[in-house]
Amino acid sequence: MIPARLQWPVGIAVVAVACVLPFVVSGFTTSQILTRAMILGIAAASLIFLASLGGWVSLGQTGLYGVAGFAVGNFVEADGGSKTFGMNIWLATILALLVTVAVGLLIGAIASRSEGIYFLMITLAFGVIIKLLFEKATDLSGFGGINQIVQPEIFGSAQLQPERIYFVCLVVSIAVYLGVRYFARTPFGLAFQGIRDNATRMKALGYNVTLIRTIAFGIGALIAGLAGVLNVWWNTQISPGTIDIGPLIFLLMIAIIGGLYRIEGAWIGALIYVILDNRLRSVELVGERVATALGIIFLLIVLLSPGGVMGIYESISRRVRRPPSGDDAPAGGEGAAAPGVAGD
Amino acid sequence: MSDPSSIGAAPGAAPILRLRGIGRRFGGVHAVRDVDLDVHAGERRAVLGPNGAGKTTLFNVIAGEFPPTAGTVELFGVDVTDKPARARVPLGVTRTYQISRLFGGLSVADNLYVAVIGAEGGHLRPLRLGKDRAFRATAREIGERVGLGPVLDTAVGELSHGEQRQLEIGMALAGEPRLLMLDEPAAGLARAERVKLTEMLLGFDRSITVILIEHDMDVALTVAEHVTMMHDGRVVVEGTPDEIRRNQMVHDLYLGRGHGGDE
Ligand SMILES: Nc1ncnc2c1ncn2[C@@H]1O[C@H](COP(=O)(O)OP(=O)(O)OP(=O)(O)O)[C@@H](O)[C@H]1O
Ligand SMILES: [Mg+2]
Repeated sequence: MIPARLQWPVGIAVVAVACVLPFVVSGFTTSQILTRAMILGIAAASLIFLASLGGWVSLGQTGLYGVAGFAVGNFVEADGGSKTFGMNIWLATILALLVTVAVGLLIGAIASRSEGIYFLMITLAFGVIIKLLFEKATDLSGFGGINQIVQPEIFGSAQLQPERIYFVCLVVSIAVYLGVRYFARTPFGLAFQGIRDNATRMKALGYNVTLIRTIAFGIGALIAGLAGVLNVWWNTQISPGTIDIGPLIFLLMIAIIGGLYRIEGAWIGALIYVILDNRLRSVELVGERVATALGIIFLLIVLLSPGGVMGIYESISRRVRRPPSGDDAPAGGEGAAAPGVAGD
Repeated sequence: MSDPSSIGAAPGAAPILRLRGIGRRFGGVHAVRDVDLDVHAGERRAVLGPNGAGKTTLFNVIAGEFPPTAGTVELFGVDVTDKPARARVPLGVTRTYQISRLFGGLSVADNLYVAVIGAEGGHLRPLRLGKDRAFRATAREIGERVGLGPVLDTAVGELSHGEQRQLEIGMALAGEPRLLMLDEPAAGLARAERVKLTEMLLGFDRSITVILIEHDMDVALTVAEHVTMMHDGRVVVEGTPDEIRRNQMVHDLYLGRGHGGDE
């Protein structure tokens, strides 16, 4: 772990680089690599949020991402989907997030009594059900998806001014990152982690375990929903294929590549995935077998380090620094054990 | 309200814990059967018995981890038989576990802080407020009290067994207990640690009623004023530590366990 006193400087440096990048690289790279990585990073953060703080691996996050995206597509003017609303994009966005959280709370209420493989299966079922529902309900998903979804005007065109939407995604990423870090140190956040470590003890301490888990799942849904909204702002279209099993597996891979136990891993995993996905296509040997190649790389990373890239980084820094005990635990306990302890 | 200074069964004072006809089955296993028990405010009560006697099951029923299959549980004059564990916390019921149940991914201070908030309420608060400073201070103060001052910021997963047992007690103390139930607090402790534990138990304020399950006779009979002996799910002997020391059945039940209790 980065020593506490270096966390802010390192964070600011990373953000500074992220701010300069779009002026250095091409518009294509800004849009297809950087922006895409930010959006997938936020989606992966919703998964890592639940995994690191709650010990829950959810396969329902792409479904929730899709709910938000389809909701925006239906609420605003677009080609396909419902024609009845024609709302302003901002109102549509807020409503879409509310709908996503509501669906998340519903799934959370059902899933919150389960753990481990059962939780995985329940959330997977919901992920698949949501996809199938949109596939069948062409009134909501259009034929061949919803296209030409209007974008917020002040961001200009995602095609002509790709850096604008990129910065929006950057700001939301930072907000999500800081929000999750902050949440982990609040009573609610610590209660969620306590349930991860010992639900029986939490009940004996007076906590309503089911309620806390349900609401925490709703927060995870909000994060996934933010990614889903940004995705349609950026992409201007969404189809049931966006949330098919393939993307669902890739999102899980992103989270695992980054490291399921540290929230920053979400964006690192997403960046690695997006770069590989782009570059591998142009490697002659790989060609159309991108998924296979990604799978092999994924396997290698997981075999090398169960904690993903963040896990590799942590085991190196532990070996290099060998801190005397308690050295990076500041007085207030700020960030000391948050969010979660890497998989050892 | 009974006077906390009246140790034990003051005539006329209502017990703070009253069990009547408590039974608990697990399928074919009758873990606890037909237990009546009264514990009064300020009392120190030990529950003894060989392995499988039903001591922990009785604790679970009192704490509300699961309901009894027969009988009633009354705490502080309230019938809580069908209330979940979390509904008993506001009454001041706290407990420790025979096998530590701690939050391995959190620091010692955070474990205690979660325990403090558990009793204080505001479990769903996604904000840090001014009053959290006070809760944090309470948590650290309790940590110091159970001898964990130097390791407050250490992750619980890195603590020694003895330190984890100390934290177990700290977690129960953080809930502002009126009834504190300790399930084998001395389990796995070294001799010196047992002596320290006994001192700590003797030092508890009389406003806290203590029920203690303990196999270590030295610890149990030093701390307790009343002893309940269980065997096969039933209460077989009740008495003062002196009576227990002299009781033949106690000797028979503990024979061969290496806990003579003979001095
Ligand atoms: N959750 C459970 N499910 C099934 N059987 C149980 C359960 N809890 C306890 N038992 C059984 O009930 C009986 C009493 O167990 P209990 O744990 O209460 O004994 P104990 O007196 O605490 O023993 P020890 O000194 O070993 O801790 C045992 O036969 C045990 O196997
Ligand atoms: Mg036991």
